[in-house]
Amino acid sequence: MCGTLSSVDQYLNLKLKEVTVNDGEKHPHMLSVSNCFIRGSVVRYVQLPADEVDTQLLQDATRNEAEKNVSR
Amino acid sequence: MADDVEQSISATVKEPVDLIKLSLDERIYVKMKNDREITGRLHAYDQHLNMVLGEVEETITTIEIDEETYEEVYKTTKRSIPMLFVRGDGVILVSPPLRTTANI
Amino acid sequence: MKFRYFINMAALESYVNHTVGIITADGRHFVGTLKGFDQSLNLILDDSHERVYSTTQGVEQVVLGLHIIRGDNVVIVGEVDEAIDSRIDFSKIRAEPLPSIVH
Repeated sequence: MCGTLSSVDQYLNLKLKEVTVNDGEKHPHMLSVSNCFIRGSVVRYVQLPADEVDTQLLQDATRNEAEKNVSR
Repeated sequence: MADDVEQSISATVKEPVDLIKLSLDERIYVKMKNDREITGRLHAYDQHLNMVLGEVEETITTIEIDEETYEEVYKTTKRSIPMLFVRGDGVILVSPPLRTTANI
Repeated sequence: MKFRYFINMAALESYVNHTVGIITADGRHFVGTLKGFDQSLNLILDDSHERVYSTTQGVEQVVLGLHIIRGDNVVIVGEVDEAIDSRIDFSKIRAEPLPSIVH
C-alpha cells in the first residue's frame, strides 16, 4: 500500500493521506479509504522517493546521533 | 599494516553498532526475517537498527514443494527499490562491506 | 517493566464519529463508526460489520453491532469515504482473504 505521508509519531505510526493501494484488484479493502492510520509495529519497509532524500544530510545526522549515544 | 588497521578499528569500535557506523555510505548486506535479504547503500541507521538504504536489491526466498517428486525447490525473487526505510525489528544481521571485514 | 505500546492521542481524533475500516493482524476487515479509542489503540466500533472476502463469491457482510477491538490486533485504521463506499457493489468484489501479519 502506498500514499502521501502526512505525519509520523515517535512509535513510527504512520498517517497517510490520499492513499492508493498498489494492487487494488487483489486488495479491494481500502477502495473507499483515502486517509488512514498504520500501526508502526506492522511496518516492514517504507519506500521513499530517492530523489527527494538528502543522503549526505542523513549520513551526517546518523554520525551525530551515534556520537551522542557514545557519550551517554 | 594489518595491526594498524586492527588498532584503528578497535579504537573506534566500542560496541557492535559502532561497526555499522564505519559502513555509512557503503553497500551493506542485511539479513531480514521471513527469508528476506537486502543489499544497499547505507545512508542512515539508529540504535534500533532502523535504516535508510539506497539502491536496494531485495531477495525473497520461498520454498515450493515439487508436486511430483515432493522435492523442496528454493525459489528466489528479486526486486529493486531506489530508496528504502527498513524497520529495525525485522533485521537479523547486518554485514559491513567485504573490504573492512577482510582487513580485520 | 512490561513494554507498552502507546499512540499519539491526536492521531485518531479526527476519525471519531466517522465510518472507519479496520484491518486486523489476522487479516480480517471490519467496518463501523469509530466511537472511541485509547492510547493502546483499543477501538470502539458501533454499527459494525465484518467484510469476509472470497475468491468464489461476493463479499459477505456479517453484522456485529457494537464491538471493541483490542489495540494489539489493529493494523490499519482507514477513514471510509461513505459516498464512495455506498457505490461499491460488494456482490461483485472477489479477493483472496488477506494473510496474517508475519513478524
